Amino acid sequence: MDEAVVHISGFRMDFAGTTVVRDLSFDVRAGETFGFLGSNGSGKTTTIRALLGLYEPTAGVLHVNGRPFKPEHGSRLGYLPEERGLYKKEKVMDVMTYFGRLKGMDRHAARQWSLAYLDRVDLSGKAATQVDKLSSGEQQKVQLGVTIMNRPELLILDEPTKGFDPVNRRLLMDIIAEQKADGATVVMVTHQMEEVERLCDRIVLLKDGTSEAYGTIDEVQNRYGGRVVRIRHSGRIPASPHYAVTLDETNYAELSVSDNTDEAAILRELMDAGVVVRSFTTTKISLEDIFIRVYGEQNTPSSPVATGVGMRAGA
Amino acid sequence: MAQHNLGTVIRFEFVRTVTKPRFWIGTLSVPVIMAIVFGLIFLSNTSSSTAAEAQRNAQFSISYVDASGLITPADAAAFGATAAASSEAGIRDVRSGAVEAFYEFPAHPENTAVKVFGADKGVFENGKYAAVAQAMLARAVAMRIGSPQLSNLAAGTVQVETVTYQGSEVAGGMNSVIPPLAFLVVFYGLVVLLAGQMLNSTLEEKENRVTEMILTTLKPTTLITGKVLALFMVGVVQVAVFASPVLIGALFYRDALNIPEFEASQLVFDPARMGVGFLILVGGFALFTTTLVAIGAVMPTAKEAGNFMGVMIALIFIPFYSVSLVVSEPHSPIVQVFTYFPFSAPVTALLRNAFGSLGIFEAVVVIAILYVGAAVMLRVAVRLFQYGSISYTSKVRIRTALKAGSRHAVAGPAEQ
Repeated sequence: MDEAVVHISGFRMDFAGTTVVRDLSFDVRAGETFGFLGSNGSGKTTTIRALLGLYEPTAGVLHVNGRPFKPEHGSRLGYLPEERGLYKKEKVMDVMTYFGRLKGMDRHAARQWSLAYLDRVDLSGKAATQVDKLSSGEQQKVQLGVTIMNRPELLILDEPTKGFDPVNRRLLMDIIAEQKADGATVVMVTHQMEEVERLCDRIVLLKDGTSEAYGTIDEVQNRYGGRVVRIRHSGRIPASPHYAVTLDETNYAELSVSDNTDEAAILRELMDAGVVVRSFTTTKISLEDIFIRVYGEQNTPSSPVATGVGMRAGA
Repeated sequence: MAQHNLGTVIRFEFVRTVTKPRFWIGTLSVPVIMAIVFGLIFLSNTSSSTAAEAQRNAQFSISYVDASGLITPADAAAFGATAAASSEAGIRDVRSGAVEAFYEFPAHPENTAVKVFGADKGVFENGKYAAVAQAMLARAVAMRIGSPQLSNLAAGTVQVETVTYQGSEVAGGMNSVIPPLAFLVVFYGLVVLLAGQMLNSTLEEKENRVTEMILTTLKPTTLITGKVLALFMVGVVQVAVFASPVLIGALFYRDALNIPEFEASQLVFDPARMGVGFLILVGGFALFTTTLVAIGAVMPTAKEAGNFMGVMIALIFIPFYSVSLVVSEPHSPIVQVFTYFPFSAPVTALLRNAFGSLGIFEAVVVIAILYVGAAVMLRVAVRLFQYGSISYTSKVRIRTALKAGSRHAVAGPAEQ
């Protein structure tokens, strides 16, 4: 069994009498890139803050490397919070050195690392510049540098691409890849599904403060109707135990196929029902589709696919 | 591990403050202003003594009448004064410009004013008329006594040395008051100069959104303790800079600045009073700092936090409204209230300690109040900072934040 760097079990969080997260459980294994997904207000940031000791949980166990996180334990953590900032009136090098020292580096090592990093991100001439004299993009680069100082073994990125320009987004992705290659465990808190599909090994999807889906991306896709059949047609799509109609417009429909039914059998079933099929394509369901389906449920509670298909995280 | 990263925080907070040009502009402006004031005093003293001398020796035409019989013609002649026929005639001469001044010495100058009438020479120069009238009378009296020694004694220029005893030991008097009173001056200096920085010290993390990153590297207690200690060090630097012109003036320009004579070697450093003063200073500073930090932690911006600074500053000046009572009647009810109310205790207790009216039992109680109060406020400040500083844009409800320790949190749904 893989070692869990992050272990969350039975986590509940109340805010002034309102339960925001309830009975949440999942693990993040060493060396993996883990996607922590959910819409705005679903409890992602709250969970991370509780994991890092910034909030006291109402109930549950939240561990990093086998025990509650405490700064003095010396875990090498890189945390990029959703709310970002630096000491704006200080010089870049002073801020970076300060954070390096707080993260356990000695002064010389922190300065050397900072100089090398600033050189890498084309800010070598800005070491003595006051932070608020930098452009927004330059400040983002410095913030990233501060996040990854002292080779973090656990990197937690809360909405990492939020507010980043394309250049810095690319830099961030490179850094995530480097950190992962260097053995770091990465937790990405996001609702950017493309990034998750590209980078993450496993995910947990939060909805209404609890886990809606949990596992590898393939597992989640399979559980949510692993394939989507897209057809252009005329005629009425019949109901079937082999698929669910997730979209039905005048000449276009999407069918979610949740079992191993052969596409040819579905096509035959449609044609037997008198549907004239002009095009027929099959793709794997995207995380974005799953996301929309999960959160669309709130507007269409009787969605045939969502009912009973999502799996609860835990164990 | 309570000290994890404490040194790093202190160093960062101290260095970044004292390396800012605006810190030195603000800090040095005070001694520069003091130097300018001292310079003006020096010039003023020089010109005043010159003017006084000039007034005493002023030469102008004088007439007089003397009902007391003290002024002899010889005394008058020494000042070039001539007798007038009557008061009316003397005044008339002044008004007509025949003489510049007319003096009317009464029958009983010991309890009746000498009347001086003169041609107006401006507010400052008019002083010469009175100076010469006094000089004339003084000379006349001295001549009548006939002895410079007796004249000096009659003028009241007598030096007195007082020795008092506390039990069998000689009491220090004012020389024992000054050293412990220095703690009060330092306390005022620290709080007045640093209150703004105390209030804003944690707001910076909040306003700059640095809180979350910081609090994953150290405990909030460490951060706040480090900030308080760094502020104390900054305050010591400021007090030292402010005190430097006073020390320089006292050591090298005492006469020129008319600084009262005292011998530093005569100062009495009572170990008990000095120890109590130091403990009260540290405890009082800690209490005020942690309270201001706690206020800062619940305010979303420096502007809103600033409204509370005036209240805190007022608290340390309130005991001064009854300073005479504090010194003369230390056991009156109002002084007792000021002594034990945490936010007026530092000033009141430091005053009483300096004047020797703070008993050892009272000192222990006050010190305990201050240190326990500071510890409680530190805990409150940490709690409010830990939860309040993540509520980036809203004011924290204090009761809710304090309940966070009993497994509740304060952030609203917007921050989920």
